[in-house]
Amino acid sequence: MTGLWRRLNYWLQSARRAAALREEMELHLAEKAAELEAGGLTPERAQAEARRRFGNVGVKHEESREIWMTRLLPELGQDIRYGWRTMASSKAFTALAVLSLALGIGANTAIYSFMEAILLRSLPVAEPESLVVLNWHSQPPQGASKEWVHVVHGVQGILWPGDKGAMVSGMFPYAAFEALREDNPAFSTLFGYFDGRSSNVAIGGQAISANTEYVTGEYFRGLAVLPVAGRLIEPGDDRAGAAPVAVLSFATSQNRFGGASNALGQRILIDNVAFTVVGVAPPEFFGVDPAASPDLYLPLHTNLLVDSAAAGRMYGDQNFYWIEMMGRLRPGVNLAQAQAALAPRFHQWVAATATTDGERAKLPTLTLNPGAAGLGSLRREYSKPLYVLLAMVGLILAITCANIANLLLARAAARRREMAVRLSLGAGRLRVVRQLLTESVMLASLGGALGVLLAIWGVRSLTYLFGKGQADFTLRAELNWSVLAVTAALSLVCGLLFGLVPAIQSTRPDVMPELKNGRGGEPRRRLQHVLVVAQIAMSFLILFVAGLFVRTLDNLHSVQLGYARENILLFSLNAKQAGHRDPEMTTFYTDLRQRLEAIPGVSGATLSRSSIISSGRAGGAIMGALKIGAVTIDGARVLGAGPGYLTTMQIPLLAGREIDGRDQPGSAPVAVISERLARTYFGTENPVGRRITLPEEKRELEIVGVSANVRSGGLKNEGGNPLTVFVALTQFPADRVTYALRTTGDPLSYVPTVRELVREADPRLPVTNVLTQAAEIDRSISHELTFAKLCSGFAVLALLTACVGLYGTMSYNVARQVGEIGIRMALGAPRGAVVWMVLRRVLVLTAVALAISIPAALGGSRLLKSLLFGIRPTDLGTLVLAGAVLFAAAILAGYLPARRASRIDPLVALRQE
Amino acid sequence: MGRKPHKNDSLPGSLDMLILRTLSRRNLHGYGIVQFIQQSSGDELLVEEGSLYPALQRLELNGWIQGDWGVTANNRRARIYKITAAGRKQLAVETGKYAKLTLAIARVMGAE
Repeated sequence: MTGLWRRLNYWLQSARRAAALREEMELHLAEKAAELEAGGLTPERAQAEARRRFGNVGVKHEESREIWMTRLLPELGQDIRYGWRTMASSKAFTALAVLSLALGIGANTAIYSFMEAILLRSLPVAEPESLVVLNWHSQPPQGASKEWVHVVHGVQGILWPGDKGAMVSGMFPYAAFEALREDNPAFSTLFGYFDGRSSNVAIGGQAISANTEYVTGEYFRGLAVLPVAGRLIEPGDDRAGAAPVAVLSFATSQNRFGGASNALGQRILIDNVAFTVVGVAPPEFFGVDPAASPDLYLPLHTNLLVDSAAAGRMYGDQNFYWIEMMGRLRPGVNLAQAQAALAPRFHQWVAATATTDGERAKLPTLTLNPGAAGLGSLRREYSKPLYVLLAMVGLILAITCANIANLLLARAAARRREMAVRLSLGAGRLRVVRQLLTESVMLASLGGALGVLLAIWGVRSLTYLFGKGQADFTLRAELNWSVLAVTAALSLVCGLLFGLVPAIQSTRPDVMPELKNGRGGEPRRRLQHVLVVAQIAMSFLILFVAGLFVRTLDNLHSVQLGYARENILLFSLNAKQAGHRDPEMTTFYTDLRQRLEAIPGVSGATLSRSSIISSGRAGGAIMGALKIGAVTIDGARVLGAGPGYLTTMQIPLLAGREIDGRDQPGSAPVAVISERLARTYFGTENPVGRRITLPEEKRELEIVGVSANVRSGGLKNEGGNPLTVFVALTQFPADRVTYALRTTGDPLSYVPTVRELVREADPRLPVTNVLTQAAEIDRSISHELTFAKLCSGFAVLALLTACVGLYGTMSYNVARQVGEIGIRMALGAPRGAVVWMVLRRVLVLTAVALAISIPAALGGSRLLKSLLFGIRPTDLGTLVLAGAVLFAAAILAGYLPARRASRIDPLVALRQE
Repeated sequence: MGRKPHKNDSLPGSLDMLILRTLSRRNLHGYGIVQFIQQSSGDELLVEEGSLYPALQRLELNGWIQGDWGVTANNRRARIYKITAAGRKQLAVETGKYAKLTLAIARVMGAE
């Protein structure tokens, strides 16, 4: 075995060893020649003589290297041929083992390829490791005083929670970008960008909705990306007044222009502004956020043309945070040095933007993070779910390995005579172990190969399952070489893992004489029991977790929505991007609503700022809170709604009126509040006629009605139904609106009519996000749906595998105890007692397994807390249910062997003895 | 395999033993081993120099010797071989066999 190790070592560095050998031989020749020269030969003669005496250098070199290679290979070939014959001779065992391994390895490969894509893979740019993402973190503005004071007055983009309740964000004011860009000691390039979200792009008269990314002039240079056609955005393009140019993603150039070179020089309209296409980015490039895939890149300052109203504030306001930044480290500068150099600079800059003591108290601090893998939004969202899934598939593979080890143990008993013969004929024990290991590694390799096929399918269906939640879903999971390498390593490890113990067991010299008489094998049986217990324990863990997720999904599905889920069609429009402006835009939306309502089969049509399930929070961390009088309302949801919203959504109206056609831009602003909000703040008083203040506009609204409670802004809201405020969309206009149609029959059958109507109203206007209300709601819980489905599948798989293991072990035990059972029956033991004898062992094994895994399950499930809803991670009911299912399955698996035991004919059994 | 006859052919496997014996005295690089064998045999034993290297690899594979980079007496970089514990054991085995064999041969030759 050590020879094998040395060989392996040699192979790993074979190139170096070959070079070393050559050097040795050269040295030999040189020294020999020197010696001969000293003896009086001319240098030429001396060299020739040295070579002559040495022999053929090339042949000797080959011979020396072959020493390491040969001998093993023929033996390996022998082992493989032999292993093949063994596998072919027990086809059922081989098929079972390979299939279960394929499931285990396939599941692991699929999940791992997602981890590789999301957590490990670097951006497809040159030297990604020198990229750095700039973030800031700060204490939230709401202190003990409950006053909303912060130097950050507004953020366009996301904040996420950091350590100790801090807020973290990657958004900065433009002036901060300029201050850091100037004479930066740590970065060779500092570049900025922001997500332009979906834009209306007209190419040759056809309007599509496309994702845009606004980037500074240094963006592509900083990322070191080269164009496939034309040129990329340069510093000269990124200034006010420069000719508007656009760079397309490779996919867009293919889909819309039929090729990268065709797109060059083309004129396109982006939100009704003319741009010229100057270049196409390479196919693998997707920007800096693995969660996004921009269709086009625009110079940052062109947002002055596209959205001049918003852009004014963006460049002028030092307290408005919107641009994201990345830098490329100068050679020789590391992250800590860059942090040390830049944090004081940012502090100095940001301190100058604070105007009050309250603002100075919570200044954001700059933090640099590694940027090799791009932005972390996907990692934040998926790392935990993926680790949970990886743990589950890891357990399944462990169960599978234990199962096969168990089957191999049983088979080793059957092959004990073969082993005894081979050992007694003088085969080295290591040689036999190696041959057995070759067999198990062959099994694992076959399983791995089949598993890769399963993984291809698995990655596709997982992408589908995960992706159901998002319109433009971009998980770039694939089976690349690094994933396949891990799969291969996994197969090898599995093969060694489940093969090693049985191989060592079956070649133990001390059990040989005992084996010759037939009975015995006590250590082996104990080992089998350990393996079975491990399998049951692991299955229980998976079963319990699956139970938690299924219950979570169940809880989510049984949430009282308070509005119609079925027969509602949703779709979104953004008229502003097609060139409409207020007040004409409001009229346009209103007219379209009336035309939609006139579609035969549509009983109601309305519109709102967003779908009700994704309606936003009032205020938020930065803006301040919703107020009634002097009372602050926490966590309320605000939804701008059109006429007849409550009727269309079938939300009961409890008092007053709903928002209707009377509420016009000029008239007094109104609001409808949900019952719980009314009860919380007005008690038994009638709120109709009272006033409420919105944070953004500081406008007072008159409450005109009270609706029943609705579940707005997501199903997973803690503490029951959130407080909801409906306001009139005409009075708080939005660029992008979501229409809702109440239909008879399948909502999706109305989609062609809707598209036709919208095209008639304005052909420049693309219809986006077309789906049913039910799908929209499911989309908001897509993670939970995916988890429940996957985990149920995993649980079934684990349970089946464990049952097969249990069944196999019990059958084997019964077969070995035929004699004992025969004697018992001959002495008058009733059949029931024999059944009980076998079942008792099953129950004991299961109980031992549960005793091990229940504490583990209770301890481990706390990690899942954030993924659950409406159920505690230590839920007793789920625990009991999982235990009951496990016992039932165990009894089922044990009953067949038990019955077989009870049918043993004592005479036959004893005669066998 | 050898192109010219040399005395070493008469005892197959004895090259391994000679190398082990040489290295049991001191650590040497390839050429040094050849020189040592030749000199200490009074130039009676001619090692086919090229065959030394497959033999060294074989011994290393068996774990009897170990080669590491070092510096020769002439200050040149070279792989210097040293004998391992397993190598010493093997040397003892081979020495024993060799003694038996030579004794046997001597008996035959002397039994005229």
